[in-house]
Amino acid sequence: MNIVKETAPHIRKKSSVTRMMVDVLIALAPTLIFAIVVYPLQAIYTLLISLFVMNGAEFVGVGLRNLMPRDDQKHSFKERFEFAYKGKFGISNVLTASISAVIYTLILPPGVPIYAIIIGALVGIIFGKLVFGGLGSNIFNPAAVGMVFTKLCFGSQYQSVSTWYYTVPDVAAGATSLGLLNGGMLDNITQYGLKSLILGQIPGTLGEVYKITIIIGLAYLLIRRSADYRIVVSYLGICTLLSLIAGLSVYSLNNAVNPLRFTAYYMLSGGILFGAAFMLTDPVTSPINSPSRWIYGLVAGVLTIFIRLFAALPEGVAFSILISNMIAVALDHYEWSTSKYNWKNLLTMGLLVVIPVLLVWIIISFGGVYNGQL
Amino acid sequence: MITKNTKIHDTKNLVGSLPAVRYVNPKYLYIATANARCPKADIYIQPGDHVDSCQVIGMRHAAFFDQPIHATCSGTFVGYEKHYHRNGKLTDFIKIENDFKDTLDKNLHIRSDEEIAALSKEEMTQIIKDCANVGLGGSSFPTYIKFQTDKPINVILVNGIECEPYITADHRLMLEYPYRVMEGIKYTMQAFNCKKALICIKSKYKDIKAVYDQVLKEYAGQGIELCCVGNYYPQGREVEMIKSATGIQLKQGELPSNKGIINFNVSTMVGIYKAIKFNMPVIKRFITVTGDGIMFPKNFRVRVGTSIKELIPLCGGYKDPDVDKVFILGGPMMGASVPSDDCIITKTVTSIIILNKTNYKEEPCVRCGSCVLSCPVKLEPVQIMNAVKAMDKERMKKLNPSRCIECGLCTYSCTSKIQVTDYIRRAKLLTKL
Repeated sequence: MNIVKETAPHIRKKSSVTRMMVDVLIALAPTLIFAIVVYPLQAIYTLLISLFVMNGAEFVGVGLRNLMPRDDQKHSFKERFEFAYKGKFGISNVLTASISAVIYTLILPPGVPIYAIIIGALVGIIFGKLVFGGLGSNIFNPAAVGMVFTKLCFGSQYQSVSTWYYTVPDVAAGATSLGLLNGGMLDNITQYGLKSLILGQIPGTLGEVYKITIIIGLAYLLIRRSADYRIVVSYLGICTLLSLIAGLSVYSLNNAVNPLRFTAYYMLSGGILFGAAFMLTDPVTSPINSPSRWIYGLVAGVLTIFIRLFAALPEGVAFSILISNMIAVALDHYEWSTSKYNWKNLLTMGLLVVIPVLLVWIIISFGGVYNGQL
Repeated sequence: MITKNTKIHDTKNLVGSLPAVRYVNPKYLYIATANARCPKADIYIQPGDHVDSCQVIGMRHAAFFDQPIHATCSGTFVGYEKHYHRNGKLTDFIKIENDFKDTLDKNLHIRSDEEIAALSKEEMTQIIKDCANVGLGGSSFPTYIKFQTDKPINVILVNGIECEPYITADHRLMLEYPYRVMEGIKYTMQAFNCKKALICIKSKYKDIKAVYDQVLKEYAGQGIELCCVGNYYPQGREVEMIKSATGIQLKQGELPSNKGIINFNVSTMVGIYKAIKFNMPVIKRFITVTGDGIMFPKNFRVRVGTSIKELIPLCGGYKDPDVDKVFILGGPMMGASVPSDDCIITKTVTSIIILNKTNYKEEPCVRCGSCVLSCPVKLEPVQIMNAVKAMDKERMKKLNPSRCIECGLCTYSCTSKIQVTDYIRRAKLLTKL
């Protein structure tokens, strides 16, 4: 027995990064299982491919980052391998890559060609994570990067897939019910009832549509404190508020639209809940301080609603998450980052609520966006 | 977990209810010649001299005060020996062989209540200075300097919170010697001419509350009250305690006396009682020996100067002898670790914690923000850590690491098991350069 010296404090909390990551995987599990049940073939091959690609890329990335420096001695491959990986590639690397892979799977629609899945996963993990220095250093959510890349590059190659779970009404293949809203086809909204929206009996991505399992996962994350409630609350809050304002503005122009129903459709369609539960709350890509986290959620929510309402894109969540990932870096700049609530960050939060509310109201009411159909 | 950590896993229930074992007559006693505040000392005695208990045997010199050294038992001065001091440094100790007669120094005398009632604040300050009373909670700040304040004091806070986990020395002191605590408070109130004193304890200490509810009946009408405050860490910190007890928010670095508050540790109060009543310095104290590396955790009442080595067998020896141990003097959050068990109990050692060494695997920071949420002074430990890694002095200065109180909560709460506190200590040093 030796007596060793160490610096204070000498005791640690019983929690670990591994535990937090396993929590995210547990929270994702119900949605993933549901996806596999509904689209057995597509979900399984998308999942296996992205798990393989992302873990492989992570493994190669760790090796490249820790390459043995060049010296004039000869080293066997075994030595080089041990130098690069011993103590540097652990369970947490596998877990983060797997989380990214599962999220990537769940935000892809069924019927994405296999080459598109592979390229998207590679781009996501390399340009979303590895180039920034790997685990803990990434700025962007790798799954969102991969999904956006696939969508932009291979979107036209997506095929529609039928399932036993629901019958597709006569609409364009691959369009989410959000597309129906955004395209000014409010009539089509009645096509899917609120019940099928909640149960996920709509065309959409592999996992984003099952609201019940997502809410179970979100509740688990919040109870386990593996996700910060500040981001979830501010994001969902601002999304609800802005869609309610949009609903009311439309109602003032067209009394046929029920604003509450409009809000419910907005919140339950697309990836808002999934993004709030699993993508925005990723601690690595969110800011550190609690005021910044409120602001971060607000920014993401405002961007999501604006992209949905006014952009030509059907799906705003992934884009808004990527843009707010960039803003998170700015929020953490040492010149103004603080963990105290002062008038500056409270004013920012206030402006982030008031200005978008006014903008939504003005643009819908007077901007000519409303074309009589919406 | 991404959460604010203020509750720390505690083992106080294990030893808090055990009465302290009296171990007051060891064969040899060791008195430090220097300590963290006083680097130099003059020793007045020669090897072979006989010393009486409480005799002044030397004088420690610090930058702005001198501190007499007292023998803590009667016996023969054998010579000097090197042992580890509480601050982790190898220090010369005066070795005294105990003659077990405990003859007292001639300066000691019992002051009657009338004599004490006639003492002015200046006289009390002088007595406390001569008895070398220091803050016994661990700060070892000379008590007489606190007494020299000329600001009006409205309330005296007595800190019995002991917010660090594991330690129960003050807990036992409060339970076993409540009257000494009360008398000490009475004298201090007399010195400051103050009408109110609050004894702050954690609200979960029901046993202390039961004792003091009884004792306070005898001191009714004197303005002494029990104040139950929060159970969290670092409730014992000056600013937090004052906020919880009186509602006054101090700025960091502001002296409490500016707001009419002065605070002392409970054991300091007992020290003041001994000094004023008997002219006696602190020669005995309560100490907790605990941790998962020791067989039977126990409380002790020991003479100041006892070697810790002698206490280990009394606790049944080390548990798991093949596991490396960490030896901590003080609490597990802020205490210093010493490289050997050959250390000596000084006045300010509150506990000895022996932990099995755990090697935590450090993961990369995932920016969960637990350290930021937990920081009691609202710093951003992770940002400071990144600034230190980047050696960016500009950024370090802006993040203000000098406000850190080194409570250790950032490291405690880190999900990646990073020693964040060490980075902040480094940032503190670097920004001072």
